Amino acid sequence: MNSLRIGFTLLVGLLGGVATAADPFDKIAEDVNTRTVKLFGAGGFRGVTNFGTGILISPDGHILTIASQMLDTSELVVHLYDGRRMKAVVLGQEPELDIALLKIKLDGKKLDEPTGLDLACFDLDAAAKRELAKPGDWVLSFANQFEIAMRDEPVSVQRGVVAACIKLTGRRGIFDFAYTGQVYVVDAITNNPGAGGGALTDRRGQLLAVVGRELRNSLTETWINYAVPVNARVDIKDGDKTTSVSIPEFVAAAKKGEYKTRPKAIAATGPGGYHGLVFVPNVLERTPPYIEEWEPNSPAAKAGFLPGDLIGFLDGEPIGSIKAFQDAIKKTRPGMVLRVEVRRGDGLQTIELRLEDYPKPTVPKK
Amino acid sequence: MNRLLLSIGLIASVSPLPAADPSPLVRSSEAARVEVIRKVKPAVAAVCFFGGEACGSGVVIDAQGYCLTNFHVVQPTGPVLQCGLADGKLYDAVLVGVDKVGDVALVKLLPREPGKPFPFVALADSDTVRPGDWSLAMGNPFGLSLDFTPTVTYGLVSGTNRYQPPEGKGTLEYTDCIQIETSINPGNSGGPLFNMKGELIGINGRGSFEKRGRVNSGVGYAISINQIKNFLGHLRSGLDTDHATLGADVATENEEGDLSRMLVRSMLEDADAVKQGIQPGDQLVKFAGRTLSSANQYKNILGIFPREWRLPLTYRRDNVTRETLVRLMGHMDRPVEKAGDEQPKPPGGRPAPAPPKKPGQDASPANKLFTAKKGYANYFFNLERQNELKAALAKQGNFADRSGTWTLDGTIELVDRRGDVKVTWAEDADGLTAVTIIRNGIRDSVIPLKPGATIGELMLPQGSGGLLTALYQYRRLLTSWEKGFEAGFDHGGTEPVYPPRADGAAVDSLKDLRMDADVIRAKHASLESKWYYTPGDHRLIACEAVTASEELPCELFFGEYKKTDGRELPHRIEVRIGEKKYAVIVVKTWTLGGKS
Repeated sequence: MNSLRIGFTLLVGLLGGVATAADPFDKIAEDVNTRTVKLFGAGGFRGVTNFGTGILISPDGHILTIASQMLDTSELVVHLYDGRRMKAVVLGQEPELDIALLKIKLDGKKLDEPTGLDLACFDLDAAAKRELAKPGDWVLSFANQFEIAMRDEPVSVQRGVVAACIKLTGRRGIFDFAYTGQVYVVDAITNNPGAGGGALTDRRGQLLAVVGRELRNSLTETWINYAVPVNARVDIKDGDKTTSVSIPEFVAAAKKGEYKTRPKAIAATGPGGYHGLVFVPNVLERTPPYIEEWEPNSPAAKAGFLPGDLIGFLDGEPIGSIKAFQDAIKKTRPGMVLRVEVRRGDGLQTIELRLEDYPKPTVPKK
Repeated sequence: MNRLLLSIGLIASVSPLPAADPSPLVRSSEAARVEVIRKVKPAVAAVCFFGGEACGSGVVIDAQGYCLTNFHVVQPTGPVLQCGLADGKLYDAVLVGVDKVGDVALVKLLPREPGKPFPFVALADSDTVRPGDWSLAMGNPFGLSLDFTPTVTYGLVSGTNRYQPPEGKGTLEYTDCIQIETSINPGNSGGPLFNMKGELIGINGRGSFEKRGRVNSGVGYAISINQIKNFLGHLRSGLDTDHATLGADVATENEEGDLSRMLVRSMLEDADAVKQGIQPGDQLVKFAGRTLSSANQYKNILGIFPREWRLPLTYRRDNVTRETLVRLMGHMDRPVEKAGDEQPKPPGGRPAPAPPKKPGQDASPANKLFTAKKGYANYFFNLERQNELKAALAKQGNFADRSGTWTLDGTIELVDRRGDVKVTWAEDADGLTAVTIIRNGIRDSVIPLKPGATIGELMLPQGSGGLLTALYQYRRLLTSWEKGFEAGFDHGGTEPVYPPRADGAAVDSLKDLRMDADVIRAKHASLESKWYYTPGDHRLIACEAVTASEELPCELFFGEYKKTDGRELPHRIEVRIGEKKYAVIVVKTWTLGGKS
């Protein structure tokens, strides 16, 4: 009898408006949707997405999104939740945070004039001070994936669980990815085309992170769904100088027009810095990166390698094959100093390798 | 008692979100979910080729075994198939109706014991579904289940009123659909999407895939059950239904502008909207009660209705807003039946390959429920619906022996006058029926089949849109049923009809007048007509008779049925053309003569 009554009480509690795991998120979805925008920019060919999502972080129309190639246009268009269509301008971007700040620009108004829009928005600074979500926490994602929504149609809402709070850099060279800080890995399939720049919130609709880009592991052909926490901080190497910047700091500076947007550090297709190492013939899918020799007068020649050294780590990240080394090198620039750990005999040696510009006449054709 | 108090204390302490010990709440909501799944599971079907090879999913929606699925699921199975239910049994099934554009099909399961009712689920009002609501998808993904036990997945509705463009040649267009993160995969197609009460909100059908391969990518789509409800009458009638267009090229006025307005750019000459007075340049404000503001939304709203439906359209011209009813045009050309042209041909010219016959398929009892006919998914069910209606009408009186002279005496109320009226149906010397009206001393007479009868004659009395020709067909329908319409006669499913208020009172919106009726479509010589019956008591309430295709049809609204010599007959007939009332005839006496 008692247990029956308990069951009944629980049922009443369930129906009586107590928030439970089974409650719908319709109100939260409606509210967060007013704080997101649909973005339309450059691209639209050869699989390059020309649409994305943004998060409103000021009533005046400041928008946070990812630093994608979609922003490489002077014709950036924003669709607000109510269907209004407006232009936007990039105030700054930081490729290593994979973040950009945009601002809505009204016709006939200067960019630094107040827009008077009084939009619903997220408080970024408050969000950045909030405690990080933990693995197992529920999250909601709001993004215009697959360009499903236009004008006043709401962005898509999905729910998931934080699977991990980690850095993805351990797999650099597999994930072709600039950002080296912490991410939330999410169990839901959130990172579809156009979802980048969307809002990842907790189950109450409070901003946690910016939904990332589409990311595929080229070895396993698997996709990872992640978001960059709004308090993310990275160390940026510029030559020998290292500076530290967080998303709120970037936003504060970019709002004032004081953020010096650096040239894109990562040219995924470029050759990277010149090292001059020559490996054993790359005959296997995963040939171990044994050093055979080096080009005369190259950085490698000055660094102190020995033939037969096996490269194990590059800047602390494991390198398992010649291809992985080459992929990692593509993300470097002349002037960078790489910490290379090699196995020599039974021991590990750490060697500093200062990359240079490719010598002009001997640029390898390949 | 102590435990009871303890549990109350627990509930009180977990507001608004369970913090310390959420387990009782989690467990109870879990239990509620499990209960919902248990309740709906028996009605979830695995749609199979004959023989039991899985090809999709479905859901039973009534005790007779009618089951919804996707058109693209039954396309490869052909009309004779089988469906597995969660009881582990395979049921013979037959295709009933298809909606190729909307990607919906209706099949009927045959009970294994005669008359045994099927488990079924209730249909929800999918307009109440909101993004962020929970949902359950059930079905047979990847053909995993060999005993037909459905797989269940659980997730959020990610969006509503979504538009997804056609995937085939104008078919498989998902309008006004429900976007879900609830995982659906190949094999889930045709299966149910439920709300957390276990009511059917949609039929799962497709997803956004792109580069990740044809598996769930977090974005699936379900056809809303409210759209399917609009087509259900058509599907049950065995029709190969079509979606609709307004016949107008509509564009957002200012794609570059702040907010957009939908303007009519141009119109098809034969569009009903033209006859209703819509012109290029008009702003479309509302359609079927929903506000129009974007191209996707326009396609959404239009996409959920069958062709030929009449729906209210609100438009604005010179700052004046008007509401009118428009008839929707079809996408596909209506098939014209020709002798020896039974095999449907795709546009490419090659005949459609018949699905390969499975062993034993010819012996399936489902074969007895299938009749091939062009323009129909299964003509057997159309005949069934006709015969059901005919049987119900027989209870309202036998008119078959009343093929002599008919007269109607009463009063007529025209716009500016009222007076006595007499209508006579009588055969002339050549055996052709003449219909004559005498009101206020003015006489008009029409012999519709007289060789050389002009459109002007057929449209008499002037301004009525062809009242006498319509009444001529009315008598034919009552006395001869399908035999009176040699050029075409079928059950046209369900259509909305808007009978005016008997007191002539205006309404805020035309949708307030709407009734959904069963339709008989008939053609006699070159005269086309539609007859509307209330679904419950099978009362003929309206008729639409097209005398000349370029003119508006004459509409008759029948009311105040009374028994005359054991036959139910209307004693009030309102005659309308377009938005205008022509006359109201109040009948004092009907005299139906038999064959002398």
